[in-house]
Amino acid sequence: MRRSNYMTEPLSCDGVETRSAPVKPQTETEFEKKRGISAVEVRRGFAQVHVSQLQGNLMEERLRVLRAVADVDASIDFLKLTPSGLSFLVPGDRGDIVGQALAGVGVNFSVRKNRSIVLVHAVNIRDEEGLIAGIVQTAIASGATIDHIGDMHDRMLMVVSDDDAERVRTRLSEAA
Amino acid sequence: MKFGGTSVASPESRIASALRVVSAKEQGFRPVVVVSAIGRKGAPYATDTLINMLREIDPDVEPDARELDLLLACGEILSAVIFAHTLKTLGHPAQAFRGGQAGIRTDGVYGNARIVGINPVSLFRSVEQGNIPVVCGFQGVYVAGDGAPGGELTTLGRGGSDTTGAAIGAAMKAEAVEIFTDVDGIKTADPDAVKSAPTLRKVTYDEVAEIAHLGAKVVHPRAAEVAMHYDIPLWVKNTFSDDEGTEIVKREHFPGRRVTGVTHTGKLVYLQFDLSGANDEDRVTLESRIYETMARYGVNLFMLDMSPSSTGFAVPRSQYAVVEDVLDGLVIPMVCEDRRVYLFQIGQQPSREVETQAALLEALGDVRRISAQLTEGCTMVSLVGHEYMQQPGLFLNVLSTLYENQIAVLQTSDSDFSLSVLVPESDTLRAVRLLHERFSLAEVR
Repeated sequence: MRRSNYMTEPLSCDGVETRSAPVKPQTETEFEKKRGISAVEVRRGFAQVHVSQLQGNLMEERLRVLRAVADVDASIDFLKLTPSGLSFLVPGDRGDIVGQALAGVGVNFSVRKNRSIVLVHAVNIRDEEGLIAGIVQTAIASGATIDHIGDMHDRMLMVVSDDDAERVRTRLSEAA
Repeated sequence: MKFGGTSVASPESRIASALRVVSAKEQGFRPVVVVSAIGRKGAPYATDTLINMLREIDPDVEPDARELDLLLACGEILSAVIFAHTLKTLGHPAQAFRGGQAGIRTDGVYGNARIVGINPVSLFRSVEQGNIPVVCGFQGVYVAGDGAPGGELTTLGRGGSDTTGAAIGAAMKAEAVEIFTDVDGIKTADPDAVKSAPTLRKVTYDEVAEIAHLGAKVVHPRAAEVAMHYDIPLWVKNTFSDDEGTEIVKREHFPGRRVTGVTHTGKLVYLQFDLSGANDEDRVTLESRIYETMARYGVNLFMLDMSPSSTGFAVPRSQYAVVEDVLDGLVIPMVCEDRRVYLFQIGQQPSREVETQAALLEALGDVRRISAQLTEGCTMVSLVGHEYMQQPGLFLNVLSTLYENQIAVLQTSDSDFSLSVLVPESDTLRAVRLLHERFSLAEVR
C-alpha cells in the first residue's frame, strides 16, 4: 500500500443510512499491477513428444496419433502442428506409456524427457504492444532452446529443458 | 454502475440508463455512475469521430499523444455532464466528475495509462450531500513528482471505462459493480455466429479475462482483475432488458470442470519463417533478431510457434504492413570468418527490395535467404474452459470436428484455460458454430 503526498483525508459518511454505506478508505490503494513481467516461475516434470515424417493424408495421420494418445488416457499440452507431423507435451510420468502407444501406431517419433514449463507472469500481456515479442527475444537470447511457446491473458508459457529452465528464469527476472 | 457507449448514445437510452440508477437508489443503494463516451463509431461525439477531427487537418501528421488524450477525454466529459443532467431532470441531484476530480491517479502513460491509486474523497462528499456522482470513464490524471498543480490528463487505453468502473467500486468498497451494455451478459459465443448462444449466469474472473484475451468483446481483463483483487462482485447486464445478466466471481466460488464458450479474434496474418537453411550456430541470432524487431515496433503476436527448423506467429492484419516493412529485405550479417549474411523474404516471390538487396550483397559472399511463408486471411477460434483443457482427447475432439467439416487448421495453441486453432477467415463463423455444437454449449446456463 502507498500513501500519496497529495491525499486529503476522505470525509466521514457517518449518519447516512443506506444498505450499502460507503466505507471510509484508510489509505490510497494501488489498483492495477505494474506493466511488464511481474514474476517468473518454473513447473517441472514434463516430456516432449515429436512425431514426424507422417505419410499420406497429413491431418488424418495426426488425428490417428492423437487418438492413440487419448486411448492411453494421457492429457496433452502445447500441441503444435509441424510440416510433417506434430509435437506436444505430456506429463513426465506418462512419457513411456505414450511412447509405447505411438510405437503401436507405427509412426516416427521421439520422446524427450526432463522438460519444464517457464511461466512468465505479465498482466494484460496483449495490451502492452511488443511485450510478448520482447519476452521471447529475451528468452532466446539467454541461449536456451525453446521447444514451444503459448500465452494466456496474464502470462506466457515456454517449454524448455530442465537444464535451461533456470537460465531462462534468471534472464527474464533480470529483464523484469 | 458503469454504462457503455450504447447505453448513453441517445436521449432514449440515457433515460433507460438513468432509470436503472434511480431504481437502485430507490432500493436503498447509493449509486455511483461511470460513463463511456456517447455512442459508437460514427456518432458525433464518439472516440473515432474526435480522432478524425485531427486527422482531417492533415492525415500525415500524427497527433501528439498528450493532445490526443485531452481530446479523447472530451467524449466522456460530455457524456458525464449530460448523464448527470438527465438524472437531475428525473428529480435526482447528480454531479459530474472528470477522472482527476474523482481522485483517479495514473502512471502517466498517455493513451494507455494504468491506475496507480484512487482517493475518492470528492465522490464520498458528493454522495454525502445527497448527489449521484457521475464519473467520466477511461481517464485519470498523472501527478508529477514535483507536484505540478492539476496533473496531466491521461486516458486508460483499452477497457478503460470498465477499469474505471471496477476501480471506483473497489476504492469505495462498493457492494457490487454492474457493467451495463446492450447484450444480456456474457454469451457462450458471439451471437453473430451462434444466434441462440445462451447467456452465462456465472463465470470466474479467469474465464472472463481469457475470453476477452482471445477476442470476445466483453468485460476487459483489467476490470476483472481489479474486481478480483478487491473481491468486488462484478455483473454484466443489459440496460435494455430485465435479464439477470452474468455474475463474475472468484474461482473458489464457482469450481468445477466445464467448457465456458467459443471465441474468435479479428483478422490475422500468419507468418512461418523457414530456418532450415541457417547454420545451427546462427539460429539463435536470427530468432532473436526477429522477435527483437517485433518488440521494437510494438507488434502484437498470436499463436507463437517454435521448432528446430522454423519459427512463426500470427499478427493482426492492421499491423501486418509494419511487419512487412521491417522484415522484408532485412539483412542480418553474422560475425564469422566466411561473412555469412542472411536476407529475409516474406512470401514466395521476392519483392523488389529483396531483389535489390540480394544484388547489392552478392559481392559480400555467402548470402542466404530466410523466407517466410505468408498466410493471409486467418482468424483464431478458441475454446475457453475451466479445469477442462487437460482432458485427454480434447485436442482430438476439436481437430476431428473441424476436419470432418473440411475446415483446415493451420496451427494450434493452448493454455490452462483455452485451446485455440488458426483457421481461414472464411470458415470462422462455421468453426465457432461447430465447436459450440460439439461441446453442447447451447445447453449451458
